[in-house]
Amino acid sequence: MYDFLQNNSLYLVLGISLLGWAGIFSYLVRLGARIRHLEKQDKQ
Amino acid sequence: MIMKSDGFIRITAAVFRKDTSSELRTRYALNALFLFTVTTLSIILFSFQSATVPVQVHAGLLWVLIFFAAMSGLSRTFITEEDRGTILLLKLSTISTPVFYGKLLFNVLLLLALTAILTILYSLVLPGFAVMSMTSFCISLFLGTVGLASASTIIGALIAKANARGTLYPVLSFPIVLPLLLTVIRATTIAMEDPAWDAAMDEYRVLVSYIVAINAASYLVFEYIWKD
Amino acid sequence: MKAFQAILGVWLSAVIFCALMFPIVGEITRWYEFPVIPGLEQKARILFFHVPLAWTSVVGFVVSVFYAIRYLRSKQIDDDIKSSSAAGLGLLFCALTTLTGSIWAKFSWGSFWNWDPRETSIFVLLLIYGAYFALRSAVQEDDKKATLAAVYAIIAGVTMPFLMFVMPRIIESLHPDPIINTRGKVSINSTMLVVFFSSLAGFTALYFWIYSLKLRVARLEFKRSSAGE
Repeated sequence: MYDFLQNNSLYLVLGISLLGWAGIFSYLVRLGARIRHLEKQDKQ
Repeated sequence: MIMKSDGFIRITAAVFRKDTSSELRTRYALNALFLFTVTTLSIILFSFQSATVPVQVHAGLLWVLIFFAAMSGLSRTFITEEDRGTILLLKLSTISTPVFYGKLLFNVLLLLALTAILTILYSLVLPGFAVMSMTSFCISLFLGTVGLASASTIIGALIAKANARGTLYPVLSFPIVLPLLLTVIRATTIAMEDPAWDAAMDEYRVLVSYIVAINAASYLVFEYIWKD
Repeated sequence: MKAFQAILGVWLSAVIFCALMFPIVGEITRWYEFPVIPGLEQKARILFFHVPLAWTSVVGFVVSVFYAIRYLRSKQIDDDIKSSSAAGLGLLFCALTTLTGSIWAKFSWGSFWNWDPRETSIFVLLLIYGAYFALRSAVQEDDKKATLAAVYAIIAGVTMPFLMFVMPRIIESLHPDPIINTRGKVSINSTMLVVFFSSLAGFTALYFWIYSLKLRVARLEFKRSSAGE
């Protein structure tokens, strides 16, 4: 198990980073949508 | 009485004289700083006992003391104005910049006096304190003190307006003053180790440019703090 | 805007991929290989993330100081909103920089913190941000808060160059000098350079995207709070 982690550590970091980035990205996009919704509300 | 028609230098001198005389009259700051000096030196002496301490530690420790003494004493010049309610009078009776310079001068001299006393006491009391180049040492002390006083004065003006004394003053001052402290501690260490008076020339240049930069910024910015 | 977000999404994913996957070899034979940096090897990859983070925290600070100066002259509260939002985001990036730097330090030099000049300067930036927000929370009135915060940002802005540029020159540093060096020449492998600058661009773009979001939220909050009185 430890050997597996050691040998493929770079792939693991890659996976975690891409996952993390995907999470942050989708959060920001959703936030932008919510803000736009609130701004439209204010305009009315 | 300060009048709007008075010249810049006269107003500066007048503010300086006012602060000095009021300080000498009450002696509040001087007493507090004296007690501070004695207390901290005693604590350090007790903790060191008879251990020999390397030169860098002495330099660092000395400047830590000077920094905290500055933190104890240099904000008073603006805070007392707020506390006593004299600030409105001061604002009305003259333009802002010479007020700053008057107080800056006061702080610089106060800190120079303090540094001198602190250093002398420190060197007498702590074992293993030796200076290789006295000229270099004095230059470092002088430049460091002027720089520290300059930064502390403008930050003092800032926190006086913020009505938040005590803890906020060191918190705001420390990041601003750190480049100065690091440089001057190096310069002092070099002065204590190297007999050449210009061994710390690089450090002096940094200190001088720091003093110039901080004073230029303070000059530009004080107007905005002073006017409500 | 949507296009920008999509491009940024792909861009940074590509950067992450290249930074982590391009092989590090002794002899460069292909365009997509990195050279071995003695002493660092695989750990060099963190360079593609740590330095852009550090760069962006400084950018955030510069933006903050810019709008601080603007505020003092215009007295428009919107400039203060811009200034404080930039600072808030800069603080986040600064914290991340310190974190990644600390991890790198542990792997490269053995301990989490060494008081090396660059480490100290990013730590001081963190302190400046902290002091900035401490000052802001100590004042109640909006315009006074904005004025004092702006003044502090400017004073801090004046002292930052000393830490960032002057001191690493005169004090020996643990930080390697591959990119910013006194001779002004860049002696880094070109593939690494491309990935590095792509990462820099990507992180800066990310900063400004999050910044614009933060700004919109801050403005909404301000409008709501002043309308509610």
